[in-house]
Amino acid sequence: MISQIKAEVLKIRSTRTTLGLLLGMIAFALLFSILPGLLSHAAQLTGKDNQVNLLGIGAISGIFAALAGIMLVASEYRFGTIRPTFLFSPNRGRVFASKVVAGMLAGFVFGVVAEGLSILVDFIILRARGISIALSGGDFALLLVGALVGAALWGAIGVGLGAIVPNQVAAIILLLAWGFVVENLVFGLLPSVGRYLPVHAQDSMIGLSTPHLLAAGLGAVVLLAWTAGLGVIGLSLLRRRDVN
Amino acid sequence: MDPVVESYGLTKRYGTVLAVDNLSFKLAPGTITAFLGPNGAGKTTTLRMLLGLARPTSGHATIFGRPYVKLEKPATRVGAVLEATDFHPGRSGRDHLLTLSRSVGLPDSRANEVMELVELEESAKRRVKGYSLGMRQRLGLASALLGDPDLLILDEPANGLDPEGVRWLRDFLRSYASRGRTVFVSSHVLAEVAQTVDQVLIINHGRLVTESSLQDLTSRVGDLVRVRSPRLSELAEALNREGIKTTASNDHSLLAHDTTSERVGNICFSAGIPLHELVREGSSLEEVFLELTSEVEK
Ligand SMILES: Nc1ncnc2c1ncn2[C@@H]1O[C@H](COP(=O)(O)OP(=O)(O)O)[C@@H](O)[C@H]1O
Ligand SMILES: [Mg+2]
Repeated sequence: MISQIKAEVLKIRSTRTTLGLLLGMIAFALLFSILPGLLSHAAQLTGKDNQVNLLGIGAISGIFAALAGIMLVASEYRFGTIRPTFLFSPNRGRVFASKVVAGMLAGFVFGVVAEGLSILVDFIILRARGISIALSGGDFALLLVGALVGAALWGAIGVGLGAIVPNQVAAIILLLAWGFVVENLVFGLLPSVGRYLPVHAQDSMIGLSTPHLLAAGLGAVVLLAWTAGLGVIGLSLLRRRDVN
Repeated sequence: MDPVVESYGLTKRYGTVLAVDNLSFKLAPGTITAFLGPNGAGKTTTLRMLLGLARPTSGHATIFGRPYVKLEKPATRVGAVLEATDFHPGRSGRDHLLTLSRSVGLPDSRANEVMELVELEESAKRRVKGYSLGMRQRLGLASALLGDPDLLILDEPANGLDPEGVRWLRDFLRSYASRGRTVFVSSHVLAEVAQTVDQVLIINHGRLVTESSLQDLTSRVGDLVRVRSPRLSELAEALNREGIKTTASNDHSLLAHDTTSERVGNICFSAGIPLHELVREGSSLEEVFLELTSEVEK
């Protein structure tokens, strides 16, 4: 299992795909930390709620971690490396579990980098603009832990999604459509349901003040449940499906 | 000695297509067996089932006495390549090998060794997207060799290779098998492997057509003889009268099947037909193969 995890980590490190995702995420996190921090009226940046929203942009790492997770499975199908992978390791459950671990590690790194950057950058900007920091140490801790635990779980969700939909393009479209369209629609129409969906569960984990969200701890449990559910479905499909 | 590979009634149905139909065979250790059949005969599907990538509709297969997926560290016993192109184009050849060798705990040095074995050491650090097809074929082979296996299973390894590549592959397989190891190599062209193998397993429409040694197969057929003569139609008649099948080769020559140059020469002499050229074209094994694989279609 450890050997397989090492191999999966090497798969991530030995192409530019994940590095590209990481750089894209950094650019995204910087842009959406700096612009609102510099351009918003001071009034929109005072108080705890506003500042959590501003500093919480690092949670975008979740989407990028999920993309990395999807690639971990789907790119093997796309380029056919799934064949040698399974020839060397016919225990597909072990391969899947190793990919989940590798996806979580990648997500963890993504989360630390993105949330670390947005906290750092916006902290500096707020101080420079003379806006007093309304966040307690606990708020900061929730931001950071919520973002990186969330991103790690999203990495695993990506692996599950990739196993369910091994077509890379389809899996990515599904993820983006879900994250940016479906969830927002459901949450807008039925917040009591929408708050149990994964992106909104992640929002609650960093302490966002959006009305109707779950408590942070419950949000974490809900996101974990999504991760486990998608993982179980993904694993059973991966085991059953013939490799051509 | 126990067979290395045993297939018991392997069957795979895709919708209405019976890709593999109740296929049973055994491979003895130390042999090179060609797995032959025209495109669509079910070779790849059979190999996928042998290797645990696809689930048989019915039947089962074992390698070294166990289903592939139940083998302990299968890569150290069986090396297999199903597609020549199974690489991430952005990954270096060496890293590709390391993703596999590390997954089963082999030392990184093995990747270097097999790279040398297939003469790719100079391109080891280059991304696979810059590799030629021949280099990719050899990288695939290298991955199969990582675990130093006793059985090599290759699906159409000569596909797309230039003649030099085919020769390289032939020499490689011979030296590999000369150490008592077993090779199972598929092809849709008998000629590609005829000089390499000692056993043939021919399938068509998923069913076993012939299982024999190459020698037996060869002894069942005579040579193909090319004859050039200014009186071609008379020549054909004379040969046909003697029961020798002929086909036109070009305007000046024809091919006599399943015979010897001595016999053709003698017949021409008796018939008084001038001969301008008499060449043994080698065995008409390929024709036997084509016949064997078309018989079933009827
Ligand atoms: N995944 C699949 N789905 C449907 N039909 C398939 C699939 N794989 C192979 N076939 C069909 O099964 C038959 C055998 O194919 P294959 O094993 O690839 O033959 P070969 O390798 O001898 O060329 C063909 O008719 C092919 O179209
Ligand atoms: Mg094939």
